Amino acid sequence: MQAAVLEKLRGIVGAPHVLTGVELSPYVVEGRTPEAAAFPGSLDEVRRVVTLAAESDLPIVPWGGGTAAAIGTPAPRAGLVLGLRRLDRILEHEPGDLTATVEAGRTMADLQSSLRERGQWLSLDPPDADRATVGGVLATNASGPRRHLYGTMRDHLIGLTVVTGEGTVVHGGGKVVKNVAGYDLPKLFVGSCGTLGVIVEVTVKLRPVVDDERLVAIPFERLKDAGAAVRTVMGSDLIPNAIELLDAEALRALGLMGAPAAMVIGFDGVAEQVAWQIQELGRLVQGAGGEPRPVSSDIWPRLGPAAAEAFAAPAAVMRLCVLPTQVGEVMEQGSATARARGLASAWSGHAGVGVVTGALAAGGERPAVTGVVDVLRDWRGIARACAGYAVLDSAPLAVKEAVGVWDDAGAAGRIMLRIKRELDPKNVLNPGRFVGSM
Amino acid sequence: MATLTADRKPALRKELEGLLGRGAVLSDPDELMVYESDGLTLFRALADFVVFPSSVEHVSAVVKLANREDLPFVARGAGTGLSGGCLPAEGGIVISLMRMNHVLEVDYDNQFAVVEPGLVNLHLSWKVGPEGYYYAPDPSSQQACTLGGNIANNSGGPHTLKYGVTTNHVLGLEVVMPDGEIVWLGGKTRDSQGYDLVGVFVGSEGTFGIATKIVVRILKKPQAVKTVLAVFDEIDHASAAVSAIIARGLVPAAVEMIDQLTIGAVEDAFGCGYPRDAAAVLLVELDGLAVGMETQVERIEAACRESGAREVRTAKDEAERQLLWKGRKSAFGAYGRVSPAYMVMDGVIPRTKLPYVLRRVNEIVDAYGLRVGNVFHAGDGNLHPNILYDPRTPGEEARVVAAGAEIMKVCADVGGSISGEHGIGLEKADFMPFIFSAADLELMQRLKHAFNPDGRCNPGKVFPTRKTCGEAGPVAYRPHAIEEQGLAQRF
Repeated sequence: MQAAVLEKLRGIVGAPHVLTGVELSPYVVEGRTPEAAAFPGSLDEVRRVVTLAAESDLPIVPWGGGTAAAIGTPAPRAGLVLGLRRLDRILEHEPGDLTATVEAGRTMADLQSSLRERGQWLSLDPPDADRATVGGVLATNASGPRRHLYGTMRDHLIGLTVVTGEGTVVHGGGKVVKNVAGYDLPKLFVGSCGTLGVIVEVTVKLRPVVDDERLVAIPFERLKDAGAAVRTVMGSDLIPNAIELLDAEALRALGLMGAPAAMVIGFDGVAEQVAWQIQELGRLVQGAGGEPRPVSSDIWPRLGPAAAEAFAAPAAVMRLCVLPTQVGEVMEQGSATARARGLASAWSGHAGVGVVTGALAAGGERPAVTGVVDVLRDWRGIARACAGYAVLDSAPLAVKEAVGVWDDAGAAGRIMLRIKRELDPKNVLNPGRFVGSM
Repeated sequence: MATLTADRKPALRKELEGLLGRGAVLSDPDELMVYESDGLTLFRALADFVVFPSSVEHVSAVVKLANREDLPFVARGAGTGLSGGCLPAEGGIVISLMRMNHVLEVDYDNQFAVVEPGLVNLHLSWKVGPEGYYYAPDPSSQQACTLGGNIANNSGGPHTLKYGVTTNHVLGLEVVMPDGEIVWLGGKTRDSQGYDLVGVFVGSEGTFGIATKIVVRILKKPQAVKTVLAVFDEIDHASAAVSAIIARGLVPAAVEMIDQLTIGAVEDAFGCGYPRDAAAVLLVELDGLAVGMETQVERIEAACRESGAREVRTAKDEAERQLLWKGRKSAFGAYGRVSPAYMVMDGVIPRTKLPYVLRRVNEIVDAYGLRVGNVFHAGDGNLHPNILYDPRTPGEEARVVAAGAEIMKVCADVGGSISGEHGIGLEKADFMPFIFSAADLELMQRLKHAFNPDGRCNPGKVFPTRKTCGEAGPVAYRPHAIEEQGLAQRF
């Protein structure tokens, strides 16, 4: 980076808030070190940093807590990390409105604890809540087990403020829970991986905290049987807030139980509803699996990433999106194809919504890249055969390049590319990282 | 865009008939008049053709023809919209989707249905009802409005308080793009990769293309439903009860408010059992598990009583529940009992601003020498002030429009929105600057450009066109052609 640009950067955000050289080590992604990192302290500073970067042809990598830094293909040029950690205030929270406006750099955990003090919560439980920021969760569309009942960021988001790649401050949506004025710009930024704008402020819908919540686990002999039980539960009167399916490896990672497979299911509501549902669940799955056993609520944050945590350093983690009824089968097939190529795998998934995570063990000695690549291609094939798709959540760069992080977006991909070109014509924001190498 | 010349029209009609078959093309001005407006009859325009495709290939062929001829086109469902959103441009082609009204697939295990855009909203719930499922978004016009129209407007309804609006229920769309290309956005899986194209298409008011297949979620019917009627002598107390319910940590399926003027009209028309002397009633619905329902009903009742309700009762049986809802759902039609015409507003405000804004609405309407009835989704702050007027009184309509603009300004000033579920269309396009900056609108224009670069797909909607709001003068009210023939009333 030119010294003059660095000087201007320091002028905008203050010298202590610009990192260079060895200070950049936390921001190294796939072995690439950014040219600098800047941490603006206000919306206007974000705007000025983006404007400067755009003028200097410096690619921008928006950065929250860094928990999703490995997502996507790294940009050809590492560019400028634009960190939002200093923008972490709750700007508005009126409990009577069940809405809150928060700066993008606040961590999920900090947001939730402030809201909880006033009896409310944002009904979203992505992993790494103590580091993941609201803006990052929005940009990566991260979620957790409770999405089964409460949905994902797109269901909670009602407004945002972003700085576009041209340095323009834009507001989308609003602060009310129902709003059809103009296009739904907030939706456009959900899962956009920082390619359309730097998210600075976010307004979300909230819910009252629940009276009671409990988790139970039911062991099964086969994943297929657990999958069938998921179908039984979904067709029943029960209203679970999470339905997770776990294989033996994922169960072991959680220290839950020794079983070939298990369904872990959560219920919330008033106490009598929770109790009745657990009882009814036992009746519904009788004969198909073991007795429902209570599970400590400490396990909640570890359920989502269970498969990924099964191995100390997995060779790759892939997310397969299929139909809910296909989950058990997909896990079995995925496991079998890995085994056939001599690799161990672990599986977990949000069974009620059809989002499955497969993690591939690195093996005793590091498996050849080609072996890993072959398995991942098999997995993607499994997802496609279910009319779904698969995204490579993490893997070494060589594997990412061979397999492709994103699945084929088809004709819709061309529309996405047109949107990217319209909204970020200079291709300043996270270039090359997203679907279709945008 | 081009204007079709009279001598070119017969040839095009012939070509359209060749594409779609005889009986699928209207071009006679008498027939076209039926399609000159939607549920908002303040605005009218005549198309050159109205066509009735029955397949995606038909839609694509018509769109390609429109492009070749440089003609504007607009998709249309049942025409129940309330913002002029499906009004034709002067000239061009109206593409009616009413023949594409089939349920193509229902997957109960995975809880979705694939339907065509002309399917009537309620008919989907009828279709899946026997298996214990329903489609949640329930606009008041659900007996007539189509799912394609719901997609365009991101329609709401009373039960969206708990279950969300249309966008929360759409998984995928087959779309004919403005250039005629057929594209799938999203699909049957809950997630889709890349930008949320479904999310931006829903609510784009027909300006991003034409949805020809729609994948929606269907939900299990709740085990139990309870409907509570709370009666208030002060409208402020009813507003306070809405906040009190939320403060008790409850998420009802619906919280609706009906004011005194509306109660009178509804009671005249249907006799639903609302007390005529009440300043307002709240209709609160809870649904979910049978177990624990009583506990929650008690909390609702307590919240209403503590806020000053003089009477709180729970519908004893399904018949009484249906009657209570009939009053709410038919309120718009019932205004016909007390006024020859009305204009419905659709502002949204933060719930805590309800007492203040309702007072301001009444003051504004009073100042214009008009009357207003309020029947609305109080639980999510979505107001529907209905300004009553007589179109035959010279100047009254202009006052209605002016009062409406002031009400929208109040909603905007308290941090709200100018539309919660009816859409911007033509009606509110010039009021967009109340809540959006030039930069916000510019970004929306760019997004539109990515889908609809030539602007032929539903031109003139959503974005402000006139220089100032004062210049916005809708044409004088005339009854719709089908109203004149006594075939329909406005609702």
